[in-house]
Amino acid sequence: MTLPHDATSPASSSVDRGWLAEWAAAWNAFWFTPADPLPLAVVRIATGLILTWSCAVWLLDVDAFFGTRGWLAPTEVWRMNDQPWQWSWYFAASSPTMLRVLAGVTLAAAVLLTIGLATPLAALVAFVGLVSAANRAPLNVFGLDDTLGMLLVPLLIGPSGACLSVDRLLAGAGRGGAGEAAPSVAANIALRLLQVHLCVVYFFSGAGKMLGASWWEGTALWGAVANDRYRTLDLRWLAHHPLVVNALTLGTLFWEVAYPALVWPRLTRRLFLAMAVAVHLGIGLAMGMMEFGLAMISANLAFVPADAYRRLGRSLSPRVAASSRTP
Amino acid sequence: MDGGADPRGGPMSSSTPMPTVMHTLRTSTHAWSAPARAVATLLILVYLAAVLAPPFAGPPPASELASVVLQPLRPLVGSLFLGHGYRFFAPNPGPGHSILWTMTMPDGTTRSGRIPDETHDWPRLLYHRRFMVSEKISVLVPPGDAPADVRDRAKRDWLPLVKGVATNLLRAEGGQRVTLDLVEHYLPDPAEVIAAATAADLVTPLGTFGPAGGTSP
Repeated sequence: MTLPHDATSPASSSVDRGWLAEWAAAWNAFWFTPADPLPLAVVRIATGLILTWSCAVWLLDVDAFFGTRGWLAPTEVWRMNDQPWQWSWYFAASSPTMLRVLAGVTLAAAVLLTIGLATPLAALVAFVGLVSAANRAPLNVFGLDDTLGMLLVPLLIGPSGACLSVDRLLAGAGRGGAGEAAPSVAANIALRLLQVHLCVVYFFSGAGKMLGASWWEGTALWGAVANDRYRTLDLRWLAHHPLVVNALTLGTLFWEVAYPALVWPRLTRRLFLAMAVAVHLGIGLAMGMMEFGLAMISANLAFVPADAYRRLGRSLSPRVAASSRTP
Repeated sequence: MDGGADPRGGPMSSSTPMPTVMHTLRTSTHAWSAPARAVATLLILVYLAAVLAPPFAGPPPASELASVVLQPLRPLVGSLFLGHGYRFFAPNPGPGHSILWTMTMPDGTTRSGRIPDETHDWPRLLYHRRFMVSEKISVLVPPGDAPADVRDRAKRDWLPLVKGVATNLLRAEGGQRVTLDLVEHYLPDPAEVIAAATAADLVTPLGTFGPAGGTSP
């Protein structure tokens, strides 16, 4: 029997060209269709707020994190990093004052990024500051820093200050109106990169859990509940409800493993985004990692359509809706 | 799957009917020229390779192929801070760790404390950044009943990091000498919690250190 797509059939070359053309068209549609930059602006504001807070906390103990007599001497950083590629401007800081200046510059950039003033420069400096801090203090970084890095690269690439920003207000004022940013390919590429990166994170996080017996047994959540180093909310009463622990563990595992596939279809997207909010807020509240949870939720915001933000804006404030309406 | 971006609704299209002009935008020829899209495609593929290679390459278990693929990408991975494994709470959530310190002050008195310190390390993000110190060092320190050669080999990795911890504590507290112990906090199972049973934490001595980093474990 000769199948329609049989490579041995005379029509195979034209079929192959059609198949490749479909791939190319799908690739172009996925990456190069102009998109509304509003979701990117929302991600920018959320990221800027979290980064601002993170910078403030770095500054609380700046000598310990970045100083020559801190947790990790500059000469020992190579033990935990891939040098020389993992650069840091703190390697060049020769005094405590310089450490504070560099940390302060990152904080200022994070504030500017949040409000959207000189946004491209702010995003660049914020990224350099984030990476410098993480690479100088590898003993002190965790998932929050990984996630902020994931968030900042798309904000650098795309027009993240195109709306909901001081930049926009200034540009609009100059032209006689606030207006709204036009859809752009750069906005789409930035949002797509964030979406795909987030799926990669969930895929490997879920795949790594599938190596662990406690995740299959449905008891892994207990390991987090019983760990008093993480605990900010005492959930040890769950010891009396093992089936609840099983359900929460297996539900978390299924959500994380399935996320890269099921966040894309419209039918399941809302469910998976809602579960993301629930899981990350739960980790934040119960395990004291609220910043990490909020950063992951911020990344999930890239999957929320611009129309949804507009509906939310209209429901919150008629003035917001009016200022963001398409001319 | 929603393959195309919605110019009004962001990359994920919504169920709201699109205005005609936006429909035209969506179905019109792409805004970027073919050469521009080709260059962008190349950059996107390189970036995605730099995102994907590190979690394939580690932490263990990992293939040799992943390491080979990662090698040429190391400058990009390192520069863009992409070298992560993303194995959050995997493969199994384990016990928590802290470092107990006892310090001799210049006047001969002693002080003690814990890293992290849930009562003093505030805000919580500061606690968590300090918590990472004990967690990351704990990964390198084998249990006290491990074979001597295993402990000796591991010490070459963790000792320089622990010296840094001691140096930082002596700087911050103004002490003369500090003794450090790694504590693995016992993780009770549900039955033990119901029975209000407790078990001892596992304590591993890390050594005593002076300002110059000298050690006398």
